[in-house]
Amino acid sequence: MDTDSGRDLISDLPQSIIESILIKVPLLDAVRTSILSRKWRYKWATITQLVFNDTCLIPCNDKSIVSCNLVNFITRCLFLHDGPIHKFELNTSYSPTSPDLDQWLLFLSRKDIKELIIDIGEDDWFRAPSCVFFCPKLTHLVLVRCELNPPPNFKGFLYLKHLSLQQVIIPPHDIEVLISSCPLLESLTLSYFDSLELTIRAPNLKYLNLEGEFKDIRLENTPCLVGISVAMYMTDDIAEHFEQSSGCNFDKFLGGVPCLERLIGHIYFTKYLSIGNEQGSFPVIYQNLKFIELYQVSFEDMKELLVVLRMIVSSPNLEELQISSSSITTTADIYDLDFWEKDWPADCTFSKLKIVHMTDFSGLPHEIAFIKFLLGHSPVLEQMIVAPTIYVTDKVVKMLIDLLTFRRASPLATVKFVQEPL
Amino acid sequence: MSGGPMAIVKPEMKSYIWLQTADGSIQQVEEEVAMLCPLIYKELIHNGMGSSKNCAILLPERVNPANLGLILEFCRFHQVSGRSNKERKKYDEKFVRLDTKMLCDLASAADSLQLRPVVDLTSRALARIIEGKTPEEIRETFHLPDDLTEEEKLEPLKNITDDPRIRLLNRLYARKRKALHKKEKLKNVEVVEEEHRVDERSVDDLLSFINSGDQDSKGVKVTKNKKKSRGRKEQGRNTSSNSEAGNYNKESNCLTSGTSVGSSPSRNSKLQNSPSELFSSKFDLDDFDIDDELDPARQEEIDREVEDFARRLNSVWPERIQQILSLGQERKRLGPISMNGNGSLKRCTAGVDRG
Repeated sequence: MDTDSGRDLISDLPQSIIESILIKVPLLDAVRTSILSRKWRYKWATITQLVFNDTCLIPCNDKSIVSCNLVNFITRCLFLHDGPIHKFELNTSYSPTSPDLDQWLLFLSRKDIKELIIDIGEDDWFRAPSCVFFCPKLTHLVLVRCELNPPPNFKGFLYLKHLSLQQVIIPPHDIEVLISSCPLLESLTLSYFDSLELTIRAPNLKYLNLEGEFKDIRLENTPCLVGISVAMYMTDDIAEHFEQSSGCNFDKFLGGVPCLERLIGHIYFTKYLSIGNEQGSFPVIYQNLKFIELYQVSFEDMKELLVVLRMIVSSPNLEELQISSSSITTTADIYDLDFWEKDWPADCTFSKLKIVHMTDFSGLPHEIAFIKFLLGHSPVLEQMIVAPTIYVTDKVVKMLIDLLTFRRASPLATVKFVQEPL
Repeated sequence: MSGGPMAIVKPEMKSYIWLQTADGSIQQVEEEVAMLCPLIYKELIHNGMGSSKNCAILLPERVNPANLGLILEFCRFHQVSGRSNKERKKYDEKFVRLDTKMLCDLASAADSLQLRPVVDLTSRALARIIEGKTPEEIRETFHLPDDLTEEEKLEPLKNITDDPRIRLLNRLYARKRKALHKKEKLKNVEVVEEEHRVDERSVDDLLSFINSGDQDSKGVKVTKNKKKSRGRKEQGRNTSSNSEAGNYNKESNCLTSGTSVGSSPSRNSKLQNSPSELFSSKFDLDDFDIDDELDPARQEEIDREVEDFARRLNSVWPERIQQILSLGQERKRLGPISMNGNGSLKRCTAGVDRG
């Protein structure tokens, strides 16, 4: 296809480019390049990223054979590999047995591993061997369904920036120690932790992602937090705990995050924050908070409503607000709508608020009052999008009419009523 | 070129710098565009080069006017600030629609200029070319020489000429694997026993190597082979591994010197072992009363397994068969023995070579 056809196009490219190419193909293909020619025999063996996933599986009817083949493939790859391994990812529904996994991890701990991602088996938990804790250069650790028991002489991961533990079993005290012993930690994700009381001390933490049955979350030393996403599930145990707890959760959680830019709360988050919250006190202003997303907010619970209001009033630069209503309707028939007239400071203005998106809207009095409030106090509002919940079909027209009559502080504001497809 | 600016005259006079490619040609390029390349930036800022034709920045060897043109186009596009991410992505995708040679060339040039985004783009494009292709296709695309020796490639013996010996070998191999599949015994005891047998075998190998090529020694060899293979057959039966992978593990224990396993692991050592193993087991045929007429159902089973094995290894190598067949024709029945000798010879030296 060109003048000097027959000349090898690629084998003499610098190894950095070859590596750049080989890490972008599935590992199986990368290893296969070893039979292309003499020069390619060991080109794959020095790549610094090894990703084992379902693309490495050779299909076969017998599951145990597939599993065995995968184990062998991984073992042999590691055995033949030459040089440091910076990234190791194992992502498969098969569960390698403990001796294999332990040996691989031991091997990796000697190879300057920096990024370790292990997500194996569908139902089984594996026990992380202690060598995992002695990978000094680790910057990125993702573990799914494993048992972690930090040994007593574990001093922390000094370079760890990203930690993600999902469905991990670890003694509660140890998780706090683990977090606080990683001084450079920037991103923390904890998923599916049960009944955890958690205090987070991470001076460089920027992104926090929590999901699970948390009893208590305290952010004690997290001045750099920029993004928070929390989903709190409820159990009877936790509900009891909520009732008994003292102190203001809002302050404990959001008291020390002045740099916050994005806040996402799911399920019982607003309820959690409402405990101990005193109306009318706004000690902290979030100058950088631009995006707030709250899901399952109960507009029948005055306390939760107060939390929402406190949040948006404390965020003078808020640009986008998304709220979904909780569809649990309690029997509370008495709505203190006077609240909107009397108790709430009427002079607050949301001077940067541009987009408001209300979903699962059921036309509750406080929901409607809330929208009215927003419309009346947002001088630069561009879009107010309201999507009714699927359970309410009869009141839709009335709601629509009401909404359209509210006074709008912003000449640009459009109110959209969106019937979301089922 | 006189010192004046190029075509478009703008109110803010753009400054231009001079770049010289390895072939001697010099060109003028807008400074703000060329600065995107770290190497050029360094030369300009730290070394003060490029301000005139005489002190043009010397670009690395791998940069020629053609790929330099492409790189500068890339820089020119991305240097403009108003573009959306979508626009940039679209441009990037179009940018790498080049033929393979150009892609490699461009990757090389960008790498020498330290322009990481272009290196990444071209690598991704080349990766897409490599992914999912067979070795032959890749060799063709990139003009790679097919220069691996026979022993480095590995494949099951594909019996295209219906040679009975090959059929037999394949069957025996499959039977052996089947035997391993079925047995489940404690590993530890067998591993220990195996270690002993390994030693036995390596000594046997050396002896057969020393005695190789001799008709007389054939007898000696045969018995040695018999001993060997009997040992191995038992060992095969006793192993608890119940898969070919397990078989493979055991065999690799039996490799004499540390023959480095070059290519795709599961393929390599299996085949390195199999010729000698198969050939040696062949001589146990008579002893163990095994003949060609296996009961038809089993025969079918075995045939299927062999096919499966072949498919799994995913390659067809006609040359290999030629070699086997031609060797077979040169020597008579003794072909396999000396092959065995050569086989172990090969293994020993191979071990030394790569050791």
